[in-house]
Amino acid sequence: MIEAKGLTKVYGEKTAVGGVSFTVQAGRVTGFLGPNGAGKSTTMRMIMGLDSPTAGSVTVNGEPFAQHKAPLREIGALLDAKAVHTSRTAYNHLLAMAATHSIPKSRVHEVIEMTGLSDVAKKKVKGFSLGMGQRLGIAAALLGDPQTIILDEPVNGLDPEGVVWVRNLVKYLASEGRTVFLSSHLMSEMALTADHLIVIGRGKIIADAPIAEIITGKGQARTRVRTDQPERLMQLLAGTGVSVEVHERELLEVSGLDPRGIARTALDNQVMVYELTPLQASLEEAYMELTKDEVEYHSHITTGASAPAQAGGK
Amino acid sequence: MSTTTVDRKSIRNSVGPGPAFHRVLNSEFIKFRTLMSTLILLASTALVMVGFAALSAWGTGQFAEQVANDPEAAAAMAAQGGDLAVSIPTSGISFAQLILGSLGVLLMSSEFTTGMARSTFAAVPKRLSPFLAKLIVVMVSAFLLTAVSIYIAGLVSLPIVDNYDLKLDLGSSQSVKLLLVNSLYVAAVAAIGMALGTIVRNSAGGIMSLVGLLFVAPIAFQLIPGDFFKEANKYLPTSTISPLTAVEHVPETLEAWQAALVLGAWVVVPVALAMVLLKKRDV
Repeated sequence: MIEAKGLTKVYGEKTAVGGVSFTVQAGRVTGFLGPNGAGKSTTMRMIMGLDSPTAGSVTVNGEPFAQHKAPLREIGALLDAKAVHTSRTAYNHLLAMAATHSIPKSRVHEVIEMTGLSDVAKKKVKGFSLGMGQRLGIAAALLGDPQTIILDEPVNGLDPEGVVWVRNLVKYLASEGRTVFLSSHLMSEMALTADHLIVIGRGKIIADAPIAEIITGKGQARTRVRTDQPERLMQLLAGTGVSVEVHERELLEVSGLDPRGIARTALDNQVMVYELTPLQASLEEAYMELTKDEVEYHSHITTGASAPAQAGGK
Repeated sequence: MSTTTVDRKSIRNSVGPGPAFHRVLNSEFIKFRTLMSTLILLASTALVMVGFAALSAWGTGQFAEQVANDPEAAAAMAAQGGDLAVSIPTSGISFAQLILGSLGVLLMSSEFTTGMARSTFAAVPKRLSPFLAKLIVVMVSAFLLTAVSIYIAGLVSLPIVDNYDLKLDLGSSQSVKLLLVNSLYVAAVAAIGMALGTIVRNSAGGIMSLVGLLFVAPIAFQLIPGDFFKEANKYLPTSTISPLTAVEHVPETLEAWQAALVLGAWVVVPVALAMVLLKKRDV
């Protein structure tokens, strides 16, 4: 369990994290979501005792991280894909880290195996791709078999297979009763991975709730409907609490009625429907809505409402 | 994903050993020996020291031959104490201090430039223990490497000086003293380098400060007129070797015990400052 109380970090005149309080519970994946520069990494570094807070405190399993007798066995962190001397081999890097806690070589081999690094373990980290670097960082985080795992942007630079692997891994770790705290600036990834979300923007907590609540809390669920009789279907669906938007000639977006209800109406009235998609994007929209005033670096060229930056956060 | 693992919910609070100092020391030693660049620097130090000693043995022999045919030079040589050969094995010491001092800088600055520091200090959040462990590894290896190199340099020089009928006794007390003092001095310089690397957190900056201290300051202090700089020059780290190794006290230099204190201060002060900053600053 991670508990932050009034955690604050000020760099000169700039407040990176402004008095945030939150609790990360064991046994579920907690997502830490926010635009670039929102204070995610700074918060995580403060949890790990690497940056000292200007004010407030943060404890891991009841104690400040630095007070734990065996830190690596308590909490494992991936803070930066390449927190590694790149001239050292992956194996030697893990071996040196393991040595601080007398973690046996067999465990080093185990995490190498787990993260799929067996083929490159004896190679210098210098030649690693970003994705391999992430895997090495995750291997290091798992080394001490810790109760609490913190991963800062773990899917950054991973290929689709790697993304799925991280998703399953964190879910598995949480199912074992561990505390998993995972940051990202990608809403879509969080939607698939996290059980609980803490949304941060400009150093302040904007939302702290189960993911389902965040989705339903903002706007109603919508359904995309394609039909060859859009006007007729619109008339049929019109009613209290139901709104229909026309996007293309045969494409409607319906809110206020679930897909089953829409299908029932269409069937009863012999209207052919050839697509019926519940729109998950509402989560993304909820996020955009939540963070629209908090985004630090606005793009000057907007390519569309749902185009979050793909670049890695720091 | 399995559901049977849920019974592990009672996952224990950290069982197993934590970062005791001997484990951190072991970790730092692993880090030290698994970098190719470190091994190359060590090997080149040994090579340079042995090579220089051989050259110096040859040069000294040539000089001794000239002296034999030149009464004036013979008188000059006699005035110097006559024992030319004894300092041959340590003639490469200024290169050793440069290379191993830079190594000291690099081993710490690279932690910060590569981001390794985040891994190091996340594993051992009480930051002073990895620092001290690294300091021990750096100083001990600098000492041992220099001592062994000086000895090998002596062995290589023996047949050369023998060729010129010069006497070099590697077991003499002066030879042993030179070996020990020079090795300690290089270990001290490596420690200063590591402290600078910790303070500056930048390889180029750390090495430049070290070069400034070891090579530029002595020359600059000599060139700047005034008694202050002449006096200050005596207190530079490079000026401590000759009082520490002199057969008898040379006027205008520190006494041996003073020199030892000065060199000690050159290590303790930057190291203490580095430790305070390391503890205080964000990684």
